Amino acid sequence: MPPETEIQQTLCRMCDDRCGIDVHLEDGRIVDILGNKAHLWNRGRLCVKARAAVDMVYHADRILTPLKRTDEGWQQIPLEQALDEIAARLAAIREERGARSIGVWKGEAIGFGQQENIARRFAHAVGSPNYLSNDSMCYAARYFGFKLVAGAWPVPDLENAGCIVLWGANPPYAHPNMTQYITAARRKGATLVVVDPRLSAIARRADIHAAVRPGTDGALAWGLIHQLVTAGACDADFVEHHTVGFAKVVDYAKAFTAEAVQAETGVPAAAVRAIARAMQSAAPRVAAYVGNGLEHHENGVNNIRAIAMLDGLLGALDRAGGTFFKAELPLRDLTLYEDVPLKHLGPLGAGRFPVLYDLRRECHTMTAIEAILQDDPYPLRALIVTGANPASTNPNSTRVLEALKSLDLLVVRDLFMSETAAVADYVLPAASFLERTELHAHAKHQIVSVTRKVVSWPGVQGEYEFWHDLAARLGIGDYFPWEDETALNRWLLEPTGLTLEELEAHPEGVEYSPSLPGRWKDTGFDTPSGKVEFASQYLKDLGYDELPVYQSPAYRREPDAAYPFVLITGARKLLYLHSRFRNIPRFLTAIPGPEVEMHPDDSEALGVADGDTVRVTSRIGSLELPVKVMAPNEILPGSLQITHGWRDANVNLITHDDRFDPISGFPLMKSVEVRVERM
Amino acid sequence: MRIVAVDPDSCVACRNCEYACAFRQSGDFDRRASHIRVNFYAEERACVPLTCMHCDDAWCLEVCPAAAISRDPETGAVQIDAARCAGCKMCLLACPFGNVHFDRTQGVSGKCDLCGGDPMCVRSCISGALRYIEADEAVDLRREVLDASLRRLLHLDKGEK
Repeated sequence: MPPETEIQQTLCRMCDDRCGIDVHLEDGRIVDILGNKAHLWNRGRLCVKARAAVDMVYHADRILTPLKRTDEGWQQIPLEQALDEIAARLAAIREERGARSIGVWKGEAIGFGQQENIARRFAHAVGSPNYLSNDSMCYAARYFGFKLVAGAWPVPDLENAGCIVLWGANPPYAHPNMTQYITAARRKGATLVVVDPRLSAIARRADIHAAVRPGTDGALAWGLIHQLVTAGACDADFVEHHTVGFAKVVDYAKAFTAEAVQAETGVPAAAVRAIARAMQSAAPRVAAYVGNGLEHHENGVNNIRAIAMLDGLLGALDRAGGTFFKAELPLRDLTLYEDVPLKHLGPLGAGRFPVLYDLRRECHTMTAIEAILQDDPYPLRALIVTGANPASTNPNSTRVLEALKSLDLLVVRDLFMSETAAVADYVLPAASFLERTELHAHAKHQIVSVTRKVVSWPGVQGEYEFWHDLAARLGIGDYFPWEDETALNRWLLEPTGLTLEELEAHPEGVEYSPSLPGRWKDTGFDTPSGKVEFASQYLKDLGYDELPVYQSPAYRREPDAAYPFVLITGARKLLYLHSRFRNIPRFLTAIPGPEVEMHPDDSEALGVADGDTVRVTSRIGSLELPVKVMAPNEILPGSLQITHGWRDANVNLITHDDRFDPISGFPLMKSVEVRVERM
Repeated sequence: MRIVAVDPDSCVACRNCEYACAFRQSGDFDRRASHIRVNFYAEERACVPLTCMHCDDAWCLEVCPAAAISRDPETGAVQIDAARCAGCKMCLLACPFGNVHFDRTQGVSGKCDLCGGDPMCVRSCISGALRYIEADEAVDLRREVLDASLRRLLHLDKGEK
């Protein structure tokens, strides 16, 4: 008999792009994944990560049974027993050490949409303010940079832009289908400026590639501000009526002449002027997008604020062809920050980095590690980790592992035995994005979708089921009254006027409100003053500079001959997402292992050839890995790059958990002082 | 008849197309198994995707002594019947564009067959550099790309790039 075939349409969550996919099934088993041609974002196109979800779902190494650490190694135990034991130990810890000694840590491994809020809800329901996530190292610093200036992080209207400026972002690898929007704009005559120390994939198509020294983007942004101000290219009407602090900006920018910018960033003065002219010529249709490359620095947020200010000066904010403010999907709020406020309990990191908690309700994961190891500011003794792998992705992995091992209770939910799961007391099987139904609002388009539970495994809980069942055992079941995730989805959707049935009938997504640039004209900007804030009273009140004052990175300010190279980490590769997918065999055929990218002048000076092993040492630690000699224009001399996420030669063995951006609390991971030795 | 049109000015050499094709041919990501090739020249920042154009007057087809190469009447694809291919490599020499390659493990020639009318290279092209379109649409695309280059010059000062 021929197999029974079926196509189910849902969203891919192998990265954060949420492309529409057609999942092909035979007799209930997934056999292929192709792009959904009706989906607004990817229009049928998909990167090759998507098809690997088939391999991920049916991987021989999937964890499908709860595991308990015993003296004899891992022991398989029934789910009910695992939940009972975990709940009993949590209750004991709560009793002895207080609820705030329990933390919940959410990651990216199973591709959350709205369901991360279930973990936030659980933390507060149990009485702890300590919700931790990957957001204290990714996304939030960019959010702050734009939020503080413009009231929100606007979405670039790439397709209609006349000039696109990408800062430390490489969409072909990080957000693959964003690439087709950029090339579409170029086919309509748009210019593309890419600011990146490396010749990234997208920089191959740049009309101007500005190879800034790592962490000096802010100097270039200030230089562009200076150029635009002196050329009279600012939108005078917008600046007068809708911004605060312009005079201070003009004054501070004076020092950033094209020549001064060249001296600091390495970008030729002529290129600085050319970028300014390209922006001026296309204004206000200038669409900027900032990537994660700007976040992991000690001056990250202010560099991003300076870039955000350019949008305001050009009047490019909330305009077609510029950047626009996306209307949020008005879902019901699952979090308990209003009903059960716990700020008085001292969320970890909220004292050191008030903006992080204030604007994102994120605790600081690096502070959490200190709390575990030093009981400072207070003990953190239990962690429930869902789809996160901090042992690989947080800075200073040696110390992270030491902390995780010293916990009274570590529970990890994941698909695979990650570095973090390997040191847990209990490892619970998690459901992948094809095994849960969840609401997703798209990052660019104002569309909402509900993903489908395409397949399931006996005994593998979805996200809601897990927290619901654990809560019931801890006497906080009242906070999780919904029967299942579908009932929860219905409740969440109520204020939107949309029904679950409508969403299920439209896997390509349902528009929840039309995109209307110019929203700020009616409502003002979502800042304390209601205007675009070039100078921030909010930051000034917290003790920071009101202007995004430029601070030269430490490796330039105080060079140390013992660490003559500057290391960038975390550049994206097409086939991997953070520490995921190293177990997909064909991915390893294509990209078999970690390497340190190096300029040919540096490899020659060190006497090493492509493939030779070197030792890279920072003040935190060292690791050994092979050299990849790049073309002369692919990386700056004196700069190195190592991508994160590899089990062997994990670059976070040498990144900093002791130096932070003062506003976001993000760790120093992208301008790390190192030395290199030939082995 | 549709062809896989290439726009080098949109290509970022991400290699999704090569991996997707290699996967279809071999189940693995060894790019040597791919029928489409993207050459990347870093110093010139040049990305050059190249795949079979399924020539109306296909020299590979004409030269094949084993009559292993034929044209699919539905898609117009010039395709190789591996069972008939003698491995003589005449087609490799005949193709002026280097779009026929030799599969050492099987001892036969290999080339694009348009995946039966839904080419995986196009489905996996995230830059939009590859499109499965009619030949006259490909001409329009080429003009659009050239026009855009001229328009960009209005925004960029030549010589100071």
